[in-house]
Amino acid sequence: MAVVKKVPEKIARQVPFCPGCGHGIVVRLIMECVEELGYNDNVIFGKPVGCASLLDNSLDIDIFTGAHGRNGASLTAIKRLKPDTLVISYQGDGDAYNIGFAETMNAAYRNEKFTVVTINNTNFGMTGGQMAWTTMPGQKTTTSVNGRDVELSGLPIKMPEMIATSFDTAYVARGALFTPAEINKTKGYIKKALQAQSDGIGHSMVEVLSPCPTNWHMSPLEAQERIIKELVPYYPLGELKNKGGK
Amino acid sequence: MLKEVVFAGFGGQGVLTAGLILSQVALFSGKKATWMPEYGAAMRGGTANCTVKYSDGRIFSPGQEAPDAIMALNIPSFNRFIKILKPGGIMLIDSDIVTCDTNVRDDVKVVGVPATTIVNELNNPRGLNIVMLGALVKLMGDYSEQEAIDGMNDMFSKKGKNAFEAANTEAFKRGYASV
Amino acid sequence: MGDMVKGNIAMAEAAIRAGMHMYAGYPITPSSEIMEYMSWRAQEAGRQYIQAESELGAMYMVYGAASVGSRVLTASSGLGISLKQEGVSYMQAADYPCVMISVCRYGDGLGSLQSGQTDYLRETRGGGNGDYRNIVLSPSSVQEAVDLVYLAFDLSEKYRNIVVILTEGALGQMMEDCEYPDYKEVPFYDWAFDGKHTNPQPSQMTMDLYERAQRRNALRAEITENEQRWEAVGVEDAEYVFFAYGIPGRIALGIVDDARKRGEKLGVVRAISLWPFPQKAFDAINKDVKGFVTIETADDGQMVEDVALFAKKKGFGDVPCYTITSPPGVPKTVDVLKKFEAIKAGEVKEVF
Repeated sequence: MAVVKKVPEKIARQVPFCPGCGHGIVVRLIMECVEELGYNDNVIFGKPVGCASLLDNSLDIDIFTGAHGRNGASLTAIKRLKPDTLVISYQGDGDAYNIGFAETMNAAYRNEKFTVVTINNTNFGMTGGQMAWTTMPGQKTTTSVNGRDVELSGLPIKMPEMIATSFDTAYVARGALFTPAEINKTKGYIKKALQAQSDGIGHSMVEVLSPCPTNWHMSPLEAQERIIKELVPYYPLGELKNKGGK
Repeated sequence: MLKEVVFAGFGGQGVLTAGLILSQVALFSGKKATWMPEYGAAMRGGTANCTVKYSDGRIFSPGQEAPDAIMALNIPSFNRFIKILKPGGIMLIDSDIVTCDTNVRDDVKVVGVPATTIVNELNNPRGLNIVMLGALVKLMGDYSEQEAIDGMNDMFSKKGKNAFEAANTEAFKRGYASV
Repeated sequence: MGDMVKGNIAMAEAAIRAGMHMYAGYPITPSSEIMEYMSWRAQEAGRQYIQAESELGAMYMVYGAASVGSRVLTASSGLGISLKQEGVSYMQAADYPCVMISVCRYGDGLGSLQSGQTDYLRETRGGGNGDYRNIVLSPSSVQEAVDLVYLAFDLSEKYRNIVVILTEGALGQMMEDCEYPDYKEVPFYDWAFDGKHTNPQPSQMTMDLYERAQRRNALRAEITENEQRWEAVGVEDAEYVFFAYGIPGRIALGIVDDARKRGEKLGVVRAISLWPFPQKAFDAINKDVKGFVTIETADDGQMVEDVALFAKKKGFGDVPCYTITSPPGVPKTVDVLKKFEAIKAGEVKEVF
């Protein structure tokens, strides 16, 4: 018997991202998890500044317009005032790790009981592909035209590892999207992260290695190849921390 | 009739509290009052001062202008504030602490109270500010002894500090009787 | 009779009484007592309190909290309020209500811990990017601070606009008798996020910003008409009229009170709302007034710009506008009078 996968009810319209971009898949995974966990009518989604800020019209849920990098602070307050609502911060790596480093880290430090899903595509997508803290050594971007020089700009950041090892949070994982199996694993991480929030265990975070064919100047397939060959060895996949249920 | 009093000394001597008590006594007696600390440079262990004003009517400036009276609990405070005391005003000092030459202006009245000696006799070293306040209230002549004691005890009672009522009353009375 | 209460603590308690749901902040002299008090009082009263990582974080906490319809408060001082400005602009863009207490310390940059009025233009002009105005209310006594904080939450909700309580270090630190208003029980606003998507909020990415500007302009006109607040004494026959707010406002009232007892015709407008500026106060002023004089605890004078603007609008365009500025702290009446004598003697050039 054929299994029919229905689009989650709250994804009302097509997502507006470039062909081959990972955002659409991750949003779909999040909304599947929200639906499966029974939170379709009790969820607040914090969108960032960056490509994901284009999401507005796609989802029929409450979408809080975060300021650039500040969702860690804003969603702290939303979750504290609405403790029974599922609160999800959806951020790009530039938003969460560069300009929002302080807010992202401080929310994790305080173990605020909401979930952060970050898209790591090793550049600032929306503004045209500038260098991010996640940009790989030697990677060419519009602000590292000769390739990223780690002597001048540091090594690519591993925020999930920092949070997993430094703070008393509930759940941290990193997933990717280059095969159906990896997509399914990533969905599993997101679901566990949301479950940890739902159970009131603590702060949870999932980073997803996501292709950006447009700014990498690659085809979608080449972009996924790059993730396998270049990113995964540096950004290992899997669960970094799982405190487990109550 | 507007009155202005400056309370000055080392941090920890209770000058800010002495000022607060006087302002609370004023309210207790149906007057208006303001209490303004010099907070910028005041640090624990350093010098502290506050300005209290009380009046039957509206108090305009709450700031330090020309005090009618000053309570100085150390030499730096005496030297600093004697200059701004209103002509005819009262400079009240703890004569055990302010041992410098206090005869620097002939248009003001300097009154010394051996408050440190008194609180040692009372075995109540933290009551120094209240002994001095007792003396100040008498010199100002705006409140009766009982009115002031009632206002003071009312304030501490509201802060849940009735435990010191007897000791405070005794200290106040000794100060009041000392001038 | 009320009891002696410190201005900062009185404002914090007034917010609790006004039904505040959440406070977020970061301590800074001379506003810290607001936060220290809230740190235990909010919990006691069943409200939320968050010590943020920074003033910026605190502002974004109240931004988030406002999005779900709660009554929010933040407070800071000088450079701390500067840090919040990106968030202030965001909140105005989202039409979220918020009360922000700005306990001004003197100066640029780190500035002084001492009291000042050097942030008038920042608060009245908006402070962040964009074209918005904060409603700005400025008390001159502890009782008035309580009353204005209590009012601010209602105004902020009514107009969906930030209300800034602009006060000075001196008022935050001083004590005066005050009586507290009754407790209000306020539910979360019903226009906000509830998790059920009951109230979709338009995104700036897709909204018609010009249409929104028209709507906000109409609202701004309504606020300007309805919310001017001031106290005036002796302006009808005054030769000179002082304009001042906060503690200098009290000092100006004292100078006028004293002068009129001597028969000298001075007047004063003590501004309580700084935005909207109390331009209606000009309607009662003597048409033959010789000059307007602001008294400000600032380097160069800031309110004098508004006085000159509205003097022109109200038909006093030829009347010179002077300013008397004072160093950090509470101005001394005697120093203000000395400078005023120089103005009367023609020794001081007008600002406008």
